[in-house]
Amino acid sequence: MLYSPDEQALIWLCACTDTDHRERAALLRAVKRPAQLFEQGELFFANVIKRRVNGLYKEGGCAFEAARFVAEEEKKQRFFVTAVSADYPDSLKHIADPPLVLFCAGNGKLLKTRRFTIVGSRIIPPWAETTGRTFAQTLSERFTIVTGFAEGGDGAAIAGAMASGNLICVLPNGLNECYPAAHAQLKERVRRSGLLVSEYPPDERVKKYSFHARNRLLAGLSEGVLVLSAAARSGTLITANCALEYGRDVFALPHNAGVKQGEGCNALIKQGACLVTEPSDILSYYGMDAAAPVEFELSAAEQTVLTVLQNGGELHVTQIAESARIPVYEASATLAALEIKNLVVRAGANRYAALK
Amino acid sequence: MIAKIICYALNGLDGVPVEVETDVNRGVPSYEMVGLPDTVVKESKERVRSALKNSGLLFPVNKITINFAPADLKKEGASFDLAVAVSLLKASEQLIGTDLSDTVFLGELALNGDLRPVSGLLPILISAKGHGFTKFIIPEANAKEARFLGGAQIYPARTLTEVVRHLVGTVPIAPLETKKFVVGAAKEGSADLKYVMGQPVARRALEIAVAGGHNLLMVGPPGAGKTMLARCLPTVMPDLSFEEALEITKIHSVAGVLGEEGIVSERPFRTPHHTATTVSMCGGGNKIVHPGEISLAHGGVLFLDELPEYKRSTLEALRQPLEDGVITVSRAGGTFSYPARFMLCASMNPCPCGNYGSADRTCTCSPSEIRRYRKRVSGPLLDRIDLQVEVDSVAYDDLTSASMAESSAEVKERVNLVRNIQRSRFEGSAVSANAEMGERELRAFCALSEEGDRILRDAFERLKLSARARSRIVKVARTIADLDMSEEILPKHVYEAASYRIYDKLG
Repeated sequence: MLYSPDEQALIWLCACTDTDHRERAALLRAVKRPAQLFEQGELFFANVIKRRVNGLYKEGGCAFEAARFVAEEEKKQRFFVTAVSADYPDSLKHIADPPLVLFCAGNGKLLKTRRFTIVGSRIIPPWAETTGRTFAQTLSERFTIVTGFAEGGDGAAIAGAMASGNLICVLPNGLNECYPAAHAQLKERVRRSGLLVSEYPPDERVKKYSFHARNRLLAGLSEGVLVLSAAARSGTLITANCALEYGRDVFALPHNAGVKQGEGCNALIKQGACLVTEPSDILSYYGMDAAAPVEFELSAAEQTVLTVLQNGGELHVTQIAESARIPVYEASATLAALEIKNLVVRAGANRYAALK
Repeated sequence: MIAKIICYALNGLDGVPVEVETDVNRGVPSYEMVGLPDTVVKESKERVRSALKNSGLLFPVNKITINFAPADLKKEGASFDLAVAVSLLKASEQLIGTDLSDTVFLGELALNGDLRPVSGLLPILISAKGHGFTKFIIPEANAKEARFLGGAQIYPARTLTEVVRHLVGTVPIAPLETKKFVVGAAKEGSADLKYVMGQPVARRALEIAVAGGHNLLMVGPPGAGKTMLARCLPTVMPDLSFEEALEITKIHSVAGVLGEEGIVSERPFRTPHHTATTVSMCGGGNKIVHPGEISLAHGGVLFLDELPEYKRSTLEALRQPLEDGVITVSRAGGTFSYPARFMLCASMNPCPCGNYGSADRTCTCSPSEIRRYRKRVSGPLLDRIDLQVEVDSVAYDDLTSASMAESSAEVKERVNLVRNIQRSRFEGSAVSANAEMGERELRAFCALSEEGDRILRDAFERLKLSARARSRIVKVARTIADLDMSEEILPKHVYEAASYRIYDKLG
């Protein structure tokens, strides 16, 4: 891929210099076009960013450095989308502090599709995780799913959207790094079928504040945000707040009152977020038709147990067996059948909940 | 004059005959032992000398040479003392007119001439009887374990004097009366399923596990009753047959942990602490190899509480014995095989704080902490555990139905029934329980209907099961079908079996 001098200048500024985002903004204000940075000498940089620059910026050498960096990254099948590129997502242009460069790996076409963000806290009730996966799966037929890269809510979104490949993961670190480290294989799978995006140079390691900054991209990249679960103080709420700030739609799953992992979601709903219980709620919000859900044939016993669960909420297997008037081991078997059909979910400690 | 006395050395679980040859000659008084005796055997010199003197017998002041044959076998332990003493007496012509060629002497001597018990007596007696020996003189303290050996004249003696009087015929010792083996009745105060409140899912899993010989993993918060459930396992297992009891007793006898009763009549329940080393678990030792916990659990239950706390290497060492039912330990002194066909029952918390998945308490662990905790149990080991079940701390008040607690005896009846089905199924093959089925048996006895096969495939996708789990599920489904008295494996059996593989997705 060919990059214009302006694009190269932005890539160089983000990846090859030790400037922070304020200094970068000051430097870009001081020139008419980014490419003019390549023509400046050390004195100019020292004057604008008001600190010693230690001979880093040699006249003429910077363009060479940029070209070399781009070539090296392209060998790793990476590409760049800069603020002056034609591909730069419009939705990002309207957020506060849009990233100058998006470092990407994977399917670049996804940046041109309609996008929808699904997020959730790392510790998430099992039913919300399964529900999140169903949402991601259904929505990924119409949208590209944008999410983070952690366990729990992000993991559910990734698992749901992976099959279709309509998946963008925004990383809080450079593309060479992996956080959490256990997701190294997952990262490779996302790169192959979806898209990895980061606003940091490849070797940047994760910092505490980079999650906060990343969350603004999650909100900024898409039309709407679905929050699967969030405690009262959760990083996920930052994404939701950014979305509100940028004028995006916020959706939330309702949780039981008193469950800590759901307080944030319920608070969002109180503030006016859209309460959703099934994927078609979101699709119809955007004027799309939902495909008819796959109907399973249920045996009489399965139907009875399912009805018990739908009426009773989250129940212990003993309670289910009592209500359905069957032995406990038969209830276990029936519940396993329903679980395989994706109609119930294990909530832990031999408790089960029905799924919508 | 030369005297030959038969004694026995232990080699693993087998006795090996050792001839003690003593030559008392004229010459400069000396006392030599040859034939690869180790330190403890050599020390018997002094014990024998004192014991003879203190029993009022004569210790020859001549040139004495004692040879242990075969010479290439390393002799260890103090069980040769009595044979050495008797052969000295015979060689120094203090036992004239006695025929000792068909008698086996076993026992350790105290300085005052008392006979002390030796470990591993039963395996020695069984081997010696197989070699054609029928007369034994043993320490009285070992009499209890020797009583179960029929068809032999066994004379228990308290002191060396008694032995001598018996041999010369002045005061004969009455031979031991053979005792018939009776299955140990459940001891007072031992565990029983009727004291376990609630836990219907775990109880069912426990029943399936015992019925089909499957291994069991219980996952639950602290205080949920995992240990109590595990302690009930031996109470629902089928009664020991005499052959089984004898084999277990042999192992326990070699390890020197045989109880008062003299024979192991209840299925063993071993709970090694999680600080146990690989050697203590699998067996080992410097020269002779002692059986480890897994061999002591042979025929019974090995319970590993807090599974992730065990050393990784220790757990991995269990994998091969779990498959083969036997452990082979090699040391400089030789290679020894001990049987180790046990049922593995393990328990663990769902996460480091124990509250993960709990309905009323919040888990404070981070996902990476939980992942690290669970990773301590390796996949290959988990694959060998057919049943994984959640034990929850549900309050008894939650359960409205009154008494649902069956006693161990009732469950045991069903287990015996299912075991009989399996016995006739596997007649004539080495397999004795569903869990031990190989690929051949799986094909012959566990054909799945088309629907069952489809269910399994769905289960793999939805429940994210590992491919290796497939045959495990089928085996468990077979046992569930047996419990249901069903010839065929029906879909509901497959579903239930799949519901006991929760841990595959948590990992």
